[in-house]
Amino acid sequence: MATNAELIKVSGLCKYYYNGELKALDGVDYSINKGDVVVVIGPSGSGKSTFLRCLNLLEVPTSGEVVFKGVDITKKYYTDKNGNKVKLNIDEHRRKMGMVFQHFNLFPHMTVLGNMTLAPIKVKKMNKAEAEKKARKLLERVGLADRADAYPIQLSGGQKQRVAIVRALMMEPEVMLFDEPTSALDPEMVGEVLEVIRELATTGMTMVIVTHEMGFAKEVGKQIVFMADGKIVETGTPQEIFDNPQSPRLQDFLRKVL
Amino acid sequence: MFSASGFAKTWQYIQLFKEGLICTLSLSALTVIFGFILALVLALMRMSKFKPLSWFATCYVELFRATPMLVQLFIVYYVVFAKASLPSFKLFGFIRFERFFPGVVALSMNSGAYLSEIIRAGIQSIDHGQTEASRSLGLSSKQTLFEIVLPQAIKNILPAIANEFVTIIKESSICYTIGVQEIMYAVASIKGATYRIAEPLLIATAVYFCLTFPTSKIIAYFERRMSRGYKR
Ligand SMILES: Nc1ncnc2c1ncn2[C@@H]1O[C@H](COP(=O)(O)OP(=O)(O)OP(=O)(O)O)[C@@H](O)[C@H]1O
Ligand SMILES: [Mg+2]
Repeated sequence: MATNAELIKVSGLCKYYYNGELKALDGVDYSINKGDVVVVIGPSGSGKSTFLRCLNLLEVPTSGEVVFKGVDITKKYYTDKNGNKVKLNIDEHRRKMGMVFQHFNLFPHMTVLGNMTLAPIKVKKMNKAEAEKKARKLLERVGLADRADAYPIQLSGGQKQRVAIVRALMMEPEVMLFDEPTSALDPEMVGEVLEVIRELATTGMTMVIVTHEMGFAKEVGKQIVFMADGKIVETGTPQEIFDNPQSPRLQDFLRKVL
Repeated sequence: MFSASGFAKTWQYIQLFKEGLICTLSLSALTVIFGFILALVLALMRMSKFKPLSWFATCYVELFRATPMLVQLFIVYYVVFAKASLPSFKLFGFIRFERFFPGVVALSMNSGAYLSEIIRAGIQSIDHGQTEASRSLGLSSKQTLFEIVLPQAIKNILPAIANEFVTIIKESSICYTIGVQEIMYAVASIKGATYRIAEPLLIATAVYFCLTFPTSKIIAYFERRMSRGYKR
């Protein structure tokens, strides 16, 4: 039953830098099921971003597997359901995984609408009118209907991040990856972005969120993953992690951040 | 040095300057266009992960930047196109194609080497986050290059490309040595016919100045306006 709904399975994931002198990820195993909201916490440099970026192969792991919907996307070839050996096209898998970055990474030479419709038009071959209609609907959902024709430079940080989120949603991804989506924001704009993510969680979207906002982690996280030194040290429900931490590393971390 | 009669004599051949101006402008414009295309290809080759490609592009750029333009021009005209008999027709009714074309080729090859470094710097100046965002949306590396990276990079380096145009206008004068009828060729012709050199040179100076000075001022103006646009 649980394995049926398994979306991403990571095993033995390692990412080394400088010929193994720096182990950003050091043997990570984790499974993400459909509808999970996984929040990843941990001290700076513990490998949270690297873990997230390995999930959609923005970072190529040194070793280990990332199995997404039954296909190990770290390999050059995979075997399809008819038993044929097929060359893996990473772009096909990436479009099913939305990603939101700390620094938004909107395309400055395109309007909000342009940012949102680019991938659907180029990748999904959706027609322009249809894509724009869909984009306007999503903008309305995040309260930015009137900003469709603005350029990123004309938006506030909070608005930029909301656009970045709906830009990713345009591709109808099966999982959304967030890397510290509120860390670059002024405090008064954090709320509006968290609100969008919160709403997304209620729709049943599978999400992996790296954040330093412990209150938010506790509230939206269904599973919490605590990382340190490139390893997953402890996992559990928010209650288990925040109210009853087991490992000394986690206890120490929580003492510092709470 | 200068004399009224000298100017009067030179003035009789003013048509040659008009032709020289047209020739210089065509030469420079074509060079910028072909040079830019070559530069783009070289820049992409140089950044390629396929080593022989990047190695070739690097050698090309270093070779063309380390040797005199005149040598390159002579090699193209006397060696490369020596045997290839180019069609001999006249552009605009006076520009000899068989001399003009090797001139364009040599200038473009040279300019491409310099411009490719500018383009490469422009591409590398684009935040890597742009590429990551694009790839994470499922766009291929090629789509990312043409939809996201190049449009931003080229907008940033437009002033540098325009400056290259100004440089080429000046450097194209070297093509007079292979008989391309640009501005300096007019000077030489008038000298042959009138035995005057100071007056034709003065006119040539004025023509070059009128071409390049306003152009660089206009570029500087747009450069300021564009950088203001980014800071908003
Ligand atoms: N491209 C890279 N080259 C070299 N080292 C890297 C690179 N990317 C990450 N690292 C190193 O890998 C380790 C893990 O980095 P990562 O960014 O995953 O940490 P993090 O948990 O996201 O930290 P933060 O909370 O500060 O964002 C760090 O020591 C970092 O310096
Ligand atoms: Mg990080």
